[in-house]
Amino acid sequence: MLGLSGYEISLITSMGIAVIFALSLNLITGFCGQISLGHAAFYGIGAYTSAMLTKAGMPFGVGLLGAVIVAGLIGIFIGIASLRVRHDFLAITTMGVGFLFIGIMRQWDLVGGEMGVSSIPGSGLGKSGFMFLVLGFGVLTVLFSLHLKRSWMGYAFDAIADDEDTARVVGLNVSHYKLAAFAMGTALAGLAGALYAHNVRFIDPESFGFVESITVLSMVVIGGIGSVFGVVFAAAVLSVLPLWIQFIDEYKLLLYGGLLFAMMRFSPGGLAGLVKQILRHISSRKSLQKLSGGTKI
Amino acid sequence: MLYVELLAQGLVQGSIYALVAVGLTLVYGLLRILHVAHAGLFTLGGYIGVLVTNATGSLLLALVVSMLVVGLLGMAIYRLCYQPILDKPPYVALIASIGLFIAMEEIYRIAFGPYGISYQNPPLQDVVYIFGITLRLGEVAVGVGTLVLIGALALFSTKTRFGTVWRATVTDPKMAESFGVDIIKVRYLNFFIGSALAAVAGVMVALLNNLVEPTMGSVPSYKALAIIVLGGLGDVRGTLIAALALGVIEAYGTIYLGNYLDRDAIAFAFLILVLMVRPQGLLGRA
Amino acid sequence: MSITKKVMVALAITGSLVSASAFADTVKIGMNVPLTGFAAADGKSALLGAELAVEQANAEGGINGTEIELVHYDDQASPKQSVPIANKLIGQDEVMVGISGSYSGATRAASGIFQSEGVPYISAFAVHPDITKSGDYVFRTSFVGEVQGRAGAKLIGEMLGKKRVVVITLKNDFGQSLAAGFKAKAADFGINIVNEYEYSIKDRQFGPIVSKVKSDKPDAIYASGYFFTAGPLVSQLRAGGIDVPVIGQEGYDSEKFIEIAGPSSDGVLITTSLDRDSTVPEAKEFISAFEVKAGYKADMVAASGHTAAKVAIAAMRKAGTTDRQAIRDAIAATNMVASTGTISFNGLGEVKKDVQVQVVKDGAWHHYAVIDDQKLLTPPVE
Repeated sequence: MLGLSGYEISLITSMGIAVIFALSLNLITGFCGQISLGHAAFYGIGAYTSAMLTKAGMPFGVGLLGAVIVAGLIGIFIGIASLRVRHDFLAITTMGVGFLFIGIMRQWDLVGGEMGVSSIPGSGLGKSGFMFLVLGFGVLTVLFSLHLKRSWMGYAFDAIADDEDTARVVGLNVSHYKLAAFAMGTALAGLAGALYAHNVRFIDPESFGFVESITVLSMVVIGGIGSVFGVVFAAAVLSVLPLWIQFIDEYKLLLYGGLLFAMMRFSPGGLAGLVKQILRHISSRKSLQKLSGGTKI
Repeated sequence: MLYVELLAQGLVQGSIYALVAVGLTLVYGLLRILHVAHAGLFTLGGYIGVLVTNATGSLLLALVVSMLVVGLLGMAIYRLCYQPILDKPPYVALIASIGLFIAMEEIYRIAFGPYGISYQNPPLQDVVYIFGITLRLGEVAVGVGTLVLIGALALFSTKTRFGTVWRATVTDPKMAESFGVDIIKVRYLNFFIGSALAAVAGVMVALLNNLVEPTMGSVPSYKALAIIVLGGLGDVRGTLIAALALGVIEAYGTIYLGNYLDRDAIAFAFLILVLMVRPQGLLGRA
Repeated sequence: MSITKKVMVALAITGSLVSASAFADTVKIGMNVPLTGFAAADGKSALLGAELAVEQANAEGGINGTEIELVHYDDQASPKQSVPIANKLIGQDEVMVGISGSYSGATRAASGIFQSEGVPYISAFAVHPDITKSGDYVFRTSFVGEVQGRAGAKLIGEMLGKKRVVVITLKNDFGQSLAAGFKAKAADFGINIVNEYEYSIKDRQFGPIVSKVKSDKPDAIYASGYFFTAGPLVSQLRAGGIDVPVIGQEGYDSEKFIEIAGPSSDGVLITTSLDRDSTVPEAKEFISAFEVKAGYKADMVAASGHTAAKVAIAAMRKAGTTDRQAIRDAIAATNMVASTGTISFNGLGEVKKDVQVQVVKDGAWHHYAVIDDQKLLTPPVE
């Protein structure tokens, strides 16, 4: 279909899933300013929920819905507990949640324990059908993010991200908004996780560990925290970067780490910040040109 | 007797956690950044320890070289990596630090090979009996070494003039600056001392396991973060207590909870429990 | 460099990769293998082993005169990476056969793709029992964990005559399946499991477990692990004054284990598939050729990579066509001598071969015994 090879379809599918996952964290970290170092746990909850439901004979759609609901509910629960801690304490608490999740999954024989879950049913849509489904969800997530950003809730998130205490002083119910961000973000992560499970069709606890949490946070920060398009772009590129740079073989991860570092060191605003800088640069040159009577400088 | 032995094992592990975490909490106290790449310095400490010992046969020399090199590298990391982004939101430094850490692990793998390196004639492997429990000399050295180093640090910070200034600065950098403290100098000092302590931990762990791998720092990279949060972020005393407590809890947990949760999950369950009761850490101020 | 330029460069790079791989007049074997990250050490050995097999085959004229090319990609031992890699190997590189030099998760995920595309796939050393269950195109040239666990039970209970055993289990699929096999057969050999401890793959400090094991007073210890966990574990057990036999498995099987554990490694027994003192020409030749190529001594993973590639090459020669169905049938009918023993497969694609017992003597692995009880070693059939 469309002349895409199986490899390209699988790349685009991976990209789409990464975009949804990264945007889900962007709701919590980007919009609402709450750093999470354990977001992969909710991705994992979604993956396990949908895998178990569909393996029990439920249709694919029920699996996806179940993943969204379970991840969102656990997200709200964790969110309530996390209201007690702030800033870096919150970051490390969420990291703890991630490790606890892995620890529990490792021991829980019902969901395969260390052995994970194999032979997860496919979507039944075929390779390209599944790709279009993922892309569809991706587009919806982007639209939802954009809408949210311009809504009243988006402004409230912004205020909380900016300065929680001030937001409280001006009468915002900070806890409610934080919980809302957690609920939406974790539910979306559950969706992404379910799509992952039906794409790879094998899951084990280690797939949702600390490294995965760090990877998705990197996507958000590299893209430009809070910027929808920046995050989409960064997620799409970073998710397939390791496959693109296969030719440098064993230097691959070194380049990846170096890139993360260099990006933060030289463009702390992420890609979105970089683009803004460039645009500003261009427009200031234009205005300079006007000032100097259109002569080239 | 088993309980005493487990306690001793826990304290040995806790001492190593303490050596790594103190540097991290010093950095946090002053700069408010989570310095993940600290664990990369810990690993480098181990590599230098093994390489110098194998080349010269002297563990003591290896320890000194390792502390110096890693301490200086820590200062360089501050100057080149963190200083330019200090005015940015904290997650910027966090991600930069994670990137740096990944790159460091990969450099070790490429430079020293994926299999890791070992001491040719591992020193301090003899067994000693203290109060009826058996410990390896290396384990005793870890405990005693940590006690000496942390003790010296405590003396330095309470008994010397510069130490007092340093302590005041870590506790409240803004206040200290307004009193005319050269805060940049204190930052360099912090990175040197913290990194040198991590190097000691690296050499010690290399000794206990007789193995330094590129990924040796991956566990400390997150566990040390948990410890400094438990200790109340930036609080050195709290960090020491948290490190030792976590070491002991893990030692007992491995035996009595090991079939329910792994070591990491036990540690983080403890962390979450403490934070739910005391959101500012064990000794932290609200 | 502007963003658009960066994108252009990235696209150009991908483009050049695509065209570079469209190489004519060779027949391709694909391989996913971890070359960066935590599993890089095993990946390197597996890749060198497979490369050696391809070089040897090419020196003998390749596949009926056509040169063999080994196309490999780094999967970081991650299922997330191995799925697109499998698609790339099949769709773009058009490999005839795939080999996994990776761990269980990555191999399990990729095996589904190879199966659904009808491309034969051979797992060199991943142990997960579900890998071969993907279907009839998936094979494994190494033991499943259960089989080795059973062999371990026979070794301890019957051959060594030790009955009070402590089990120390690595908490991952490898350790779990070994422990399952061991426990299933323990009673048959009169073994009483006094206690079981679990540890994580990240652990290197076993002080608490050592203290507890001491109070268990076992006759032998069955401990699963890899050389980087087993090295510290064994030396800490010995330092703790525990001198009963320690029995491990192929995860220990590396020179590095002896280097880490030092003198404490003496007398440690393992069940594995490479016999260092083998008189079989295939094994002898492999052991010396690998050391020349790699610059370090052969280990189990290297031998497994070599064996998997050799099985693939032999099947391609026998099939004599580029028909993947014919190659699959040829693999299924394999009966050949390789560095890891005489290889044949059962209906599920699991290998049937003898278990080698090796012992550390004077700082090197040596022959101890062979377990060839075919009934005990029967691999799972479904």
